[in-house]
Amino acid sequence: MGNKQTVFTHEQLETYQDNPFRQRIAQVFSEDGDGHMTLDNFLDMFSVMSEMAPRDLKAYYAFKIYDFNNDGYICAWDLEQTVTKLTRGELSAEEVSLVCEKVLDEADGDHDGRLSLEDFQNMILRAPDFLSTFHIRI
Amino acid sequence: MKPSKACQRYRSIRRNTSQHYFYQESLLLSNLDDSFNADETGESNDPEQIFQNIQFQKDLMANIRCRPWTMGQKLGALRRAKEIVLKFEGRLTRTRGYQAAGAELWRKFVRLACNFMVIFIPWEMRIKKIESHFGSGVASYFIFLRWLFGINIVLTIMTGAFIVIPELIAGQPFGSTASKTIPKEHVMSAQDLDTVWSLGGYLQYSVLFYGYYGRERRIGRAGYRLPLAYFLVGMAVFAYSFIILLKKMAKNSRNSLASVSNENYTFCWRVFCAWDYLIGNPEAAESKTAAIVNSIREAILEEQEKKKSKNLAVTICLRVVANILVLLSLAGSIYLIYFVVDRSQKLEQSKKELTLWEKNEVSVVVSLVTMLAPSAFDLIAALEMYHPRTTLRFQLARVLVLYLGNLYSLIIALLDKVNSMSTEEAATKNNTSHWIDSTIFFATRTASEEEKWSTPGPGTGLLRNSTWAPEETSVPAYTLPLSEANKTTVYTQRPQDQCWETYVGQEMLKLSIIDMLFTVASILLIDFFRGLFVRYLSDYWCWDLESKFPEYGEFKIAENVLHLVYNQGMIWMGAFFSPCLPAFNVLKLIGLMYLRSWAVLTCNVPHQQVFRASRSNNFYLAMLLFMLFLCMLPTIFAIVRYKPSLNCGPFSGQEKMYDIVSETIEKDFPAWFGSVVGYVSSPVVILPAVLLLFMLIYYLQSIARSLKLSNQQLRMQIQNARSEDKKKVAQMVEARIQTQEESSMRLPKDSDLSSQLSWAQSVAPQSNGTVVNLDSSSSKRGRGETAAQRTPPSPQPGLGSPSSPLPGTSKSRLEQNANRCLRGRSTSAGDRHENRSCSPGMRMKHAEVVHSEPLFRRDFQQIDPPLRGPGLSVVVPRGPRSCAPRYYIINERDSRQIPHPTFWPERHFRMDALGDMVEMCPRTRRQGVSWAPQQGHSPQLSEEEENAPRRELVQWSLHPQSLRGLQGAPHFYVGDRSESQTLVPEHQRRMMHFKSWDDGFEAPLDRPVCGHKKPRSRNFQSAQHPPKLRGKPKVEPSLSESDSVSAASSSDQQNGSNDQSLQVAPSPAKFRSSVGQLGRRKAIHRQELVADLNDLICSNV
Repeated sequence: MGNKQTVFTHEQLETYQDNPFRQRIAQVFSEDGDGHMTLDNFLDMFSVMSEMAPRDLKAYYAFKIYDFNNDGYICAWDLEQTVTKLTRGELSAEEVSLVCEKVLDEADGDHDGRLSLEDFQNMILRAPDFLSTFHIRI
Repeated sequence: MKPSKACQRYRSIRRNTSQHYFYQESLLLSNLDDSFNADETGESNDPEQIFQNIQFQKDLMANIRCRPWTMGQKLGALRRAKEIVLKFEGRLTRTRGYQAAGAELWRKFVRLACNFMVIFIPWEMRIKKIESHFGSGVASYFIFLRWLFGINIVLTIMTGAFIVIPELIAGQPFGSTASKTIPKEHVMSAQDLDTVWSLGGYLQYSVLFYGYYGRERRIGRAGYRLPLAYFLVGMAVFAYSFIILLKKMAKNSRNSLASVSNENYTFCWRVFCAWDYLIGNPEAAESKTAAIVNSIREAILEEQEKKKSKNLAVTICLRVVANILVLLSLAGSIYLIYFVVDRSQKLEQSKKELTLWEKNEVSVVVSLVTMLAPSAFDLIAALEMYHPRTTLRFQLARVLVLYLGNLYSLIIALLDKVNSMSTEEAATKNNTSHWIDSTIFFATRTASEEEKWSTPGPGTGLLRNSTWAPEETSVPAYTLPLSEANKTTVYTQRPQDQCWETYVGQEMLKLSIIDMLFTVASILLIDFFRGLFVRYLSDYWCWDLESKFPEYGEFKIAENVLHLVYNQGMIWMGAFFSPCLPAFNVLKLIGLMYLRSWAVLTCNVPHQQVFRASRSNNFYLAMLLFMLFLCMLPTIFAIVRYKPSLNCGPFSGQEKMYDIVSETIEKDFPAWFGSVVGYVSSPVVILPAVLLLFMLIYYLQSIARSLKLSNQQLRMQIQNARSEDKKKVAQMVEARIQTQEESSMRLPKDSDLSSQLSWAQSVAPQSNGTVVNLDSSSSKRGRGETAAQRTPPSPQPGLGSPSSPLPGTSKSRLEQNANRCLRGRSTSAGDRHENRSCSPGMRMKHAEVVHSEPLFRRDFQQIDPPLRGPGLSVVVPRGPRSCAPRYYIINERDSRQIPHPTFWPERHFRMDALGDMVEMCPRTRRQGVSWAPQQGHSPQLSEEEENAPRRELVQWSLHPQSLRGLQGAPHFYVGDRSESQTLVPEHQRRMMHFKSWDDGFEAPLDRPVCGHKKPRSRNFQSAQHPPKLRGKPKVEPSLSESDSVSAASSSDQQNGSNDQSLQVAPSPAKFRSSVGQLGRRKAIHRQELVADLNDLICSNV
């Protein structure tokens, strides 16, 4: 109740600027989706990104982070965004689309052309280093 | 009591099912409902129920971290759960309450202690800092180092407590016996630097090495059996290492699901798991990006290469050449080491005084080879043109082989020396047998010396010298005991020099020290000075130093880890002969930790290649285990094969070292024990035991295989189920589209619309009184109102009767009517505030609801940011709020569309529960939503229709519970005073109820609903439970209204791309209208306004 709303200024984000998904993280955890966080949102973020957080929780929020258009599925467009951010635009368009295609090919369990949360969890929980890399320290 | 039984049964089912976390979570809200329910009914004093309830709450409290809720939700739920637990536990027994309080205190204390303990985890902050700069790969090296450090500490404690300290305290003091005294002529040089350097002098005659330990079977007053302890600890070191390694590996493999080899998500992992969220350093981020780009490109290339065949001849040739080169260099290094050991022996025999280099050349050469060969392998690997990952693996394998080869050639050379030592010893013994006093041990020694020195003949002397050489230089003089002093007139040397164990221990320790020095040197040279050079001379150089040739040193995780493994291998190898080696290694690791971390932070850049190594990776550990096994072999071999030195060490005078065990058993245990041990160790027992072990291994392996198979099959099954599910959903959607199209003509005429509208209104009031959607036309509104006004008189009968079975369509119609009635009532309640005296109270209540549900509100804010303008902020929380519940309903309905409650839909419920519906709501489902109103007419869904009325009732009857679940109980009582009031909140409840219902099917089943409000709800309950359990998938009719509301607000309901507007549009409208209404009713409903303002303060400030 009555939490102060903290706006993350650009400078503050600067300190965490190396993460290509910083905007997404802020959006996912902020209540109104524009990256402005209250203290509670902030706590949410760090409770999810802490080492103690359970695997499924992490997977769930990772899914949200990668779901750029917030439609509950990681579609090709989301994937493109992800890849582009990840590689800082160093891959050509064909490469990006190839990668997206491959990703969908691999993980899309129900062949609907996009990744649902289950597909995503199924995939990411098998990744050897997801748990160790998906957390943040302050 | 029927419902409660049902619920119990259900709970037991739930308990029995695997406690999947989603599932647990899904239970949570319903759980709250239960508790509040019980709370409210009050009279349900069934202790069993209460107990279960408390268990639920405790579960909840324990697992609250695992739930994907927002912090406020978590806090609220936790608080509530605590309240309930306290309350009910107090009711059950007083002591239980105290117990709970005590447990709480204890928990807090433990938490505090945990936080406090973190301070004592060595280097935690340092590692975290590194981790945050360089990512988890580099940090994993340090974590591994720390883990090794821990192991070494335990080993040190073991050897220290059971060997070193007893020897120091109770053993004979230094200088008391021959084996503990520095020989006379070496006393002078005992403190020379090079003697100390080569671990001679005082160091040799100290607890550092095997030779110092006395042979007395019992020492001290307590009769501590030092020799036995020495042997047992020596074995325990290996046993402990094995156990701890295997345990760790098992734990790791349990943690990682990555065991399935046939599932390969190359690209997925590269995309989704590539980024290391820990990276906080621009340089590291850059190199990580580069690495990711590389890895993705590689993957693409691989993918392309899979398709096209290529000319392999050249690469194969190159690879063959490379492998030959590697083999050559391996053989070379092994030969080099063997040669150096051999040469050092020869040198020692030919020269009396050795230079510093000559003394240390073995260890120096070994360390040099260890350092340089990996780089050579690196170069060779470039020839092969493998995939980088394969290259890395080859590299690691080669380096490991090299290290092992080094260690092995060293130990073999040493053992060779030991061999010749013991033969020589035997020879001298024979020679000296004719001498005076052969019974006295030391006499024979000295005698042999004398003889040796008296015979200057080159032939024999050479032979002897060759074997005794090391001792001559390092451990010469020896002060004789008095008895022998007169006999040995001349140079009496090295009686205890034949202590080959000490020699081996010395070599291992020396190797370890020199390895440490080389590590330090290489860190300084290769990393630090190179970094300095590159950094400061870059400006004055003709090319770019930073990006071209020398660059900055990379932190090569794999090789560094291998080095650690190698180092630990040395320790294991030498620990038996030099009990203080683990202690030394502890120091070394501490030094290494500080130096490495400093070097990494100051002058390294992260490795370009992606090396997947993390905490949950068994790669390091597997290498370590391999190393441990291979290092144990020579030690065990030496122990078993060679006779212990005659005049030094705890086992002197015995045939084999392990004789100490049998000796102890014979002498110090009762006779029967000895015979038992004899039987047990006889082939009669051993052979069957070995056979049994083999059988066990085979059995376990076959079980593992079958488990793997079944695992695979299960996965297939899941996949099939999922795809079938989706197909069915798709078919259903299609069918609905068709029916929708058919009925869309009829739709406007249909009276459904009015009910829909009334529903819309009912949604509105809940947010802000009588607000009606602006998007809906005024005429519609009027109709809706009329419908609402028409219906109020008859809600009760409509609701009361539905349990009676009616034919399909007519029933659904009736049911819809009932719905409409109820809704109408609610709307009217909302609409006609002025007429109702109690409405302010209701509003107050509503405000309270808002208060208690801040998070709920937040979610809605997320939905429409445009509303957050400063002037309009007054109503902001409300407009969105009214919108969001609708959302839940939509989702709810969607999920119910899926007729088969497989685990797939469940997950969707889970998502729904989060409140972030907007993101989660899938497009197809939304489309499905729009068809919903027609469901009643669609022929395919007749069975659903049949179920519908009942479900509907269930729903209605259950609202209070759900409301309770989400809001404080007291508020509820306020609202419950009159029927008209309750009906309005009911909508709210309903919405929340959906939410909660999403979470758990069992939510509504159990408890009697709030009694004083509607008796009829109770009546229905018993009848309704079973269908609810099964028939979860449908509440469509009721949902259809919500749907139509959104349909009214959005121009094109069937367009998937319009989804967002679907939600956003209604809220501003409502907001506006609510503003107007507020203005109108300000005077009347001041209370409410105050509440609102409170709200706003909470939410927006």
